[in-house]
Amino acid sequence: MKHDTIEKSIPLMSILVVLVISIGGLVEIVPLFYLDSVIEKVEGMRPYTPLELKGRDIYLREGCYNCHSQMIRPFRDETERYGHYSLAAESQYDHPFQWGSKRTGPDLARVGGKYSSLWHQEHMRRPRNLVPESVMPNYPWLEKNSLDYADIAKRMEVMQTIGVPYSASMIQNAVADLEAQAIPDSESDALLERYGDKVVLDDFDGDAKRITELDALVAYLQMLGTLVDFSAYTAQER
Amino acid sequence: MADEKKPVETTGHQWDDDEGYPLKEYNNPLPKWWLYTFYATIVWAVIYWVFFPAWPTLSGFTKGTLGWSQYKQLDEEIATAKAAQKPFDDQLAKMSLKEISQDPRLLQYAISGGKAVFGDNCAPCHGSGGIGAKGFPTLVDDDWLYGGSLAAIHETIDSGRTGAMPAHLEAHDGSFNTAQVENLTDYVLSLSNQPHDAAQAFKGKALFNGEAGCNGCHGDLGNGSLKGTMEGEALEASVGAPNLTDGIWLYGGSRKAINQSIAKGRNGKMPAWGSGFEGFGRKLDPLSIKEVSLYVHTLSGGSF
Ligand code: HEC
Ligand code: HEC
Ligand code: HEC
Repeated sequence: MKHDTIEKSIPLMSILVVLVISIGGLVEIVPLFYLDSVIEKVEGMRPYTPLELKGRDIYLREGCYNCHSQMIRPFRDETERYGHYSLAAESQYDHPFQWGSKRTGPDLARVGGKYSSLWHQEHMRRPRNLVPESVMPNYPWLEKNSLDYADIAKRMEVMQTIGVPYSASMIQNAVADLEAQAIPDSESDALLERYGDKVVLDDFDGDAKRITELDALVAYLQMLGTLVDFSAYTAQER
Repeated sequence: MADEKKPVETTGHQWDDDEGYPLKEYNNPLPKWWLYTFYATIVWAVIYWVFFPAWPTLSGFTKGTLGWSQYKQLDEEIATAKAAQKPFDDQLAKMSLKEISQDPRLLQYAISGGKAVFGDNCAPCHGSGGIGAKGFPTLVDDDWLYGGSLAAIHETIDSGRTGAMPAHLEAHDGSFNTAQVENLTDYVLSLSNQPHDAAQAFKGKALFNGEAGCNGCHGDLGNGSLKGTMEGEALEASVGAPNLTDGIWLYGGSRKAINQSIAKGRNGKMPAWGSGFEGFGRKLDPLSIKEVSLYVHTLSGGSF
């Protein structure tokens, strides 16, 4: 085909450009969908509880990902600071995933359980109360706003349609499970039955009487990176 | 203009030649250095495919003849670092804190290790360098809740501590009314020589050493479970009740803060990092705990 022909026909040129560019995409992306070694076999992964899912939505709404990544790379300095490097399996129920690439603040992939909920309350209210040199903004409204979770079941259904394995009973009991996790000393057996014993139960916002946005966000933070049982994980051939 | 110069090779593609000056597309060759660099990158790519992981296949990917992977490299780097530290670490593991503190070379090694551990794990709560924050005690002074000896510090870090200051106001399931909590507040204010209502403080004192039983933890003089006594008997040091007379406050020394402490109670939690580990925070190995204990001990100017 002559150069001239391609140059003078916009449709032809567009088709050829797309073809050339997709080769890279096809070779790099398509195998990720069928190769077994992409998502490691691990113990412990489960979908987010309703409260954590709401917390994750708030994390997105507030744009925390603009300053925080959730991806520990396999380098010695990172694993010594943050813990085991991140596995693809750990973000398999994350839609969209929160790997990020901007680290104004530290990586949060394994921040779960690192601090007490009391620490998070004080830190979200005003980070400089705890870390005088911090440039993280204050989020004082989170503990004031009541959490709106009327649509929680719907949100879980949407997640279900894109592959998150929520069961019918998880969706049916979404509101009850959310309240059981957020209100201290409430009946939580059914919640633990559905999501496993590792679910963190706490008074996340320091206010036992109300369920606030801070409850949801801190519940989400407290579970980050804690699910996979690394004692049962051995790095496979890659 | 171009027509006046020596003719150049063109692609033969011309536009706009109404006026006799057609727009032509030159076909200049690429600079040689550029072209050869380009060929070299292609050759490099092929070599790379042979030696390193590269192409996806139907069941995996080509692993490359060197067998290199990012994960193996990480494991090797960690192993190298461990090997370099091993002679020191082996010695530290065998020695008691006291023995380490008497060997200047090992002590220095341990303290710099402890400093790194502190920065990663402790600084967010205790502040960088241990300056502390509201609810999280400063570690740079000599005012301890649980004790500043090497052994006490080690135990705090290894097993964790939970401050158990009960709530006293009725509204928070305590057994005292608003006026009584006010009286107690005035008495506590008086202990550190702050402005207070003397009459109320007088009533507060009676409650403190009587019905409310504050002295059981804070001591008859309110100087805390480490130094204080109740009716002449030493107090249980592991309670960690702060000294209320020294003007150093964990939760604030204003009337409002003190009132809150008494009314609602306080339950500061220092996570356990070693044998007491309960899945909260990150478990540290015994060696790191030794190192960070020594580091914390130096923060307060503690001499060995
Ligand atoms: C402007 C950038 C910025 C934004 C936006 C931001 N942070 Fe941060 N964050 C930081 C910095 C810097 C630090 C480190 C200093 C500190 O601890 O405050 C930090 C620290 C943290 C930590 C402690 C991490 C650790 O391991 O010590 C948490 C948790 C956290 N941020 C959560 C959040 C959440 C949740 C949001 C959104 C509501 C958020 N951050 C938004 C900059 C940011
Ligand atoms: C989640 C926040 C948090 C983290 C992280 C933390 N601490 Fe603490 N630490 C506390 C609190 C809160 C107290 C006070 C406990 C109380 O109120 O009774 C405390 C108390 C202490 C004390 C006793 C102080 C005294 O006056 O007796 C020492 C020593 C100490 N921490 C050292 C450390 C070290 C070393 C680390 C890191 C390995 C660490 N802490 C990490 C919250 C934390
Ligand atoms: C069971 C033991 C116990 C009893 C009884 C007790 N306290 Fe406490 N108190 C503590 C402990 C432990 C703390 C530290 C709490 C923490 O570390 O989170 C504390 C903290 C405080 C504080 C905050 C000090 C600071 O530095 O911010 C005040 C004020 C206080 N107590 C006053 C009282 C008064 C007044 C009473 C009696 C009405 C009382 N306490 C009874 C154990 C006790």
